Amino acid sequence: MNKNADERLDRLFAAARDARVDTSALEEHFETRLMARLRERQKAGIPWYALMWRMVPGFAVLVLLIAVYSANYGPSSSGDLFAAISSGQEEYLAGNVLSGE
Amino acid sequence: MPEQSSDESLISATLSGDEGAFALLVTRYKRRIFGLAARFARDRDEVEDICQEVFIKAFENLASFRHDAPFEHWLTRIAVRASHDALRRRRREKGQSGFDDYVFEVRDYAAEARHEARQAREVLQWAMSRLKAEERIVITLLELEEYTVREISALTGWSEANVKVRAHRARQVLKRVLEANNEQERG
Repeated sequence: MNKNADERLDRLFAAARDARVDTSALEEHFETRLMARLRERQKAGIPWYALMWRMVPGFAVLVLLIAVYSANYGPSSSGDLFAAISSGQEEYLAGNVLSGE
Repeated sequence: MPEQSSDESLISATLSGDEGAFALLVTRYKRRIFGLAARFARDRDEVEDICQEVFIKAFENLASFRHDAPFEHWLTRIAVRASHDALRRRRREKGQSGFDDYVFEVRDYAAEARHEARQAREVLQWAMSRLKAEERIVITLLELEEYTVREISALTGWSEANVKVRAHRARQVLKRVLEANNEQERG
């Protein structure tokens, strides 16, 4: 049964291989139609979404530069949570003293 | 630009703004691309659409062609991708059609078909419409266009193992569909 199905499928493939669709009528003046469409596209310019896609690498480089800059030159974050909180409180108290509150 | 010019010189001329050179490239390869598109398209309009898409993409990306493989190979890769996109679009538009609709189509085709080869092509086309886009691409390139697994892998960007699995699955589905149709015709 399975062998029969395989043979039938192979026969269909062999027959279809030789039966190419005749596309000669479609091919006539294809160059003319294509070049007209290409000129139309060039005249219309680049659509906004294509521009956005082209800007993606630029944005990616910008983000990378910012990340590198902030990692090297940004304020160092303390790993000690208590020190970070108390340093914040000191600044807050100093502000209060200076403003007379 | 003489018609016998090499692909390389036509490509360079196109990149320097000579549209006529690109038209010569189109004339040189359109038969190959139309033949391939016709294996996947459901009608003449779709063949034209796929071919236009292929040559427009080729024109717009010609600068990225690296000359490490023949131009025909590069163009065929674009054609395979465009056909794959067309098949997926069609599947999304249509969803999964009912089996009965297809049986009608086959019976109509069978009545109209004059030659055995044409009938075989139409029966096969109907059965292939049941396949997933990826499976159809693989089985068409393998069985009808007679590419090797390695060549299909290069054309599609899928691994050779993946191509083999898809070809195997496609054959299983086609056998099931043809058997079911046979039983329905007998019953």
